[in-house]
Amino acid sequence: MTAPGSPSLGPPLGEPVAVVPGGDSWDRVRDDLATHGTALVYAWLRDLEPVVPFGDGLRELLGRDWTRYLDLTHADVRGRYIASRMLLKQAASAVLDSDPADLELAYGPTGRPYLRGCDQIDISLSHTDDLLLVGLTTCGLIGVDAERADREMHGSGLGRHICTPYESVLLSGMPEPQRNDALVRLWTLKEAYSKAIGQGMQFRFTEFGFGPDGRAVRVQRPDGTAGTGDEWIFRTFPVADGYVVSAAVYDAGFGRLQDAHVTTMLDQDCVDAITEALGEDPDTP
Amino acid sequence: MGLDSLDVFLRTVRDDLGLDIAIPEGADTALGDLPGWDSLNLLRLVALLEESGHRVPVHRLLGARSLREVHTLVKEYG
Repeated sequence: MTAPGSPSLGPPLGEPVAVVPGGDSWDRVRDDLATHGTALVYAWLRDLEPVVPFGDGLRELLGRDWTRYLDLTHADVRGRYIASRMLLKQAASAVLDSDPADLELAYGPTGRPYLRGCDQIDISLSHTDDLLLVGLTTCGLIGVDAERADREMHGSGLGRHICTPYESVLLSGMPEPQRNDALVRLWTLKEAYSKAIGQGMQFRFTEFGFGPDGRAVRVQRPDGTAGTGDEWIFRTFPVADGYVVSAAVYDAGFGRLQDAHVTTMLDQDCVDAITEALGEDPDTP
Repeated sequence: MGLDSLDVFLRTVRDDLGLDIAIPEGADTALGDLPGWDSLNLLRLVALLEESGHRVPVHRLLGARSLREVHTLVKEYG
């Protein structure tokens, strides 16, 4: 539970990839998805704002989010809303090999976002201040969260609203200067996990915890005993300009998806089963 | 300081959380439309209410869409 970031520990998960408009980082994003089943992408609001579409282009980008966008009244909130959707659709279109305008962002009953009709990939979105973060996975579920590393949490007494009893004991045993960093790490991990499972803060953060940094990260019960196993991967990374990002990935055991192309909608086993049921020879043209 | 008055409640939230809240118009702004609003601020609001002697269940706060609705809960739970 020290400063975030122990990239050599735990199952592999590629470091977040920085993207800029017109940049050439998308190949790395595709490589991460092919290699790890997961890719983390981030961008700066200041880089995206100058290139966001307007008029019909904006309406096309937002799709069903257009109505929600119109309800927003504050310019900063609107700007971040547009930029985050643009980054999400650009990232998804890069790995799905599709046009961003063809992707439709939808929301589940708990507000969890997904790409309608593209269940080969799960997505998560986070933004804080100037940083926008997107997580993509073909493994199963993903949740991501970003926060400023120096955001005041410990001194403002939020620890007892964030930590399990076990985490509180560990935190109190740490040198004072390290406690806020540790709490920010725990916060982003909990946010990422709760987003991945679609619970948000309905699942109280004092009811589940994480162990210290420097070893494989697992969900723990309030007393510090193991809560989940190897099916979950958690990682925390420092990124530029003093930010911390965490990712929680649930591996449903499907194995690596070899082809995430948007047209790859049907599982081949499923196609074979249907073909067999229809009494057709799959090799007959 | 009691939070029974909506104006006092809004000022307290604005000052303690450091948010740009127009008073009194901000009472009806959707929480997601408040600049700087995020889930950590929701938790800070929980802490603020507790320090002020108000114990509103978190699951009720999660359902609130505006600060006016939060204030209604504050009065409801006392």
